[in-house]
Amino acid sequence: MEQTKPFYDLCIPYQKDEKALREIIKEAISLGYKTIAIDQVYDHSKRDTTKRVPDIFPAPVTLKQLEEEFKSDVKILRRLTIIYLDVGVAHAMSNSQNLKKFNLIAGQPKTDAALTHCCTTFGGDLVTFDTEAGVKLLVNRKAYQIGVKRGLYFEIKYGPAIRDTNIRKDMIKLAHNYCVRGKSKNLIFSSGATNPFELRGPYDVANLAFIFGLSEDQGKNAVNKACRQLFLRAESRRIGKTIMFVKASGPIIFTDTSESEEEHGDSFREEISSEESEIDSQEQPSKKKIKIL
Amino acid sequence: MVRIKNRYIVVRIVPQEPTKVLNFHDGVLTKCVLRNVKKYQGDYGLGIVEHGFRVKYCNERTKVAIIRCLHRSHRIVASTLPLITMIGDVRAKFHTLYTGATIIQCNKFIISHQQRFLDEMVGQIASAKERKDFIKRVMEFDLEQ
Repeated sequence: MEQTKPFYDLCIPYQKDEKALREIIKEAISLGYKTIAIDQVYDHSKRDTTKRVPDIFPAPVTLKQLEEEFKSDVKILRRLTIIYLDVGVAHAMSNSQNLKKFNLIAGQPKTDAALTHCCTTFGGDLVTFDTEAGVKLLVNRKAYQIGVKRGLYFEIKYGPAIRDTNIRKDMIKLAHNYCVRGKSKNLIFSSGATNPFELRGPYDVANLAFIFGLSEDQGKNAVNKACRQLFLRAESRRIGKTIMFVKASGPIIFTDTSESEEEHGDSFREEISSEESEIDSQEQPSKKKIKIL
Repeated sequence: MVRIKNRYIVVRIVPQEPTKVLNFHDGVLTKCVLRNVKKYQGDYGLGIVEHGFRVKYCNERTKVAIIRCLHRSHRIVASTLPLITMIGDVRAKFHTLYTGATIIQCNKFIISHQQRFLDEMVGQIASAKERKDFIKRVMEFDLEQ
């Protein structure tokens, strides 16, 4: 599976101004983050219903220059947050090609029905909440349990909470709701910071677990292990059930097998890595048997 | 004999506008943290934290400080630190580097941290005498007991 290193910050909102974005990424690196996700927002409820377009979801923005620049320091993922009102979004999601280009997909429900749908049948990986309008929706126990069983993760943003008293109160309310309903399982912390000053170091974020009602371990996991799990889940959603996958990192050249392989050895390099899944562990014994026979 | 447990939190102060030297001293930091504990955790939090709270060390060049507090109350202090946005009259934030149980461990950590800091900074200074001076200023580590 693809390597990612701790610590994780899975929500840095995308800004048109590349200079500001670069500042934020630089600050994140200096604080010790190794994996970050650039977040784009798509509002499904505001879409133009009169026009028919083949793919309603936007394609990920190109950040080639930034990716090149910080290649050695940080891994940049893409994330799409879908704001929606009703279950109609599920159909659009099922046959969209652009969605597969994103590493992570988050849902931001606006109504109670949407929230229940988000936890039970939504095709994304992450449930997030609107911070600006105040938390009016709270997860009920059943939906939360189903969400946890399906491997969904729930997000708490600390960046806006530092900025504003009301948002802080709402975020604490939200976090304690998770605590009451199901022992704060499957929670991750992310920044949602729009300027470098709002970012905090990973240990600071883990310490915030105290006011959000998580235990010390859960707090640390919320910036480390849980994010890795989320990434693995998202990856398996993207490429389906797999045992291994091959990724070419160069131009692919098809050659005759009779020719010597050394000629093309430099231009074609493949990375084979096996996915850390249950299927893998089940498959291995049988492979060994074949070899012995 | 019963031993009183302490926790030492090593923090780095990150001002919004990068500056070379901070003119803080321990009193400002103590006041700032206690005021914020009162703001975010209320009278109950302040009551728990106040006893045994002390800023042990503050380096103006590397902007590293050590905060001492009693065991159990350290969780309240540690969860308040990320919420602080003003220190004294400067817009700045705390970056927690390390939490230790003895000051010797913190000391070890700070020395390795400062060596990394020196590696970055020494390259920018031209004259040899200034460099020597700078290294001396950064590495001096005396605790006002």
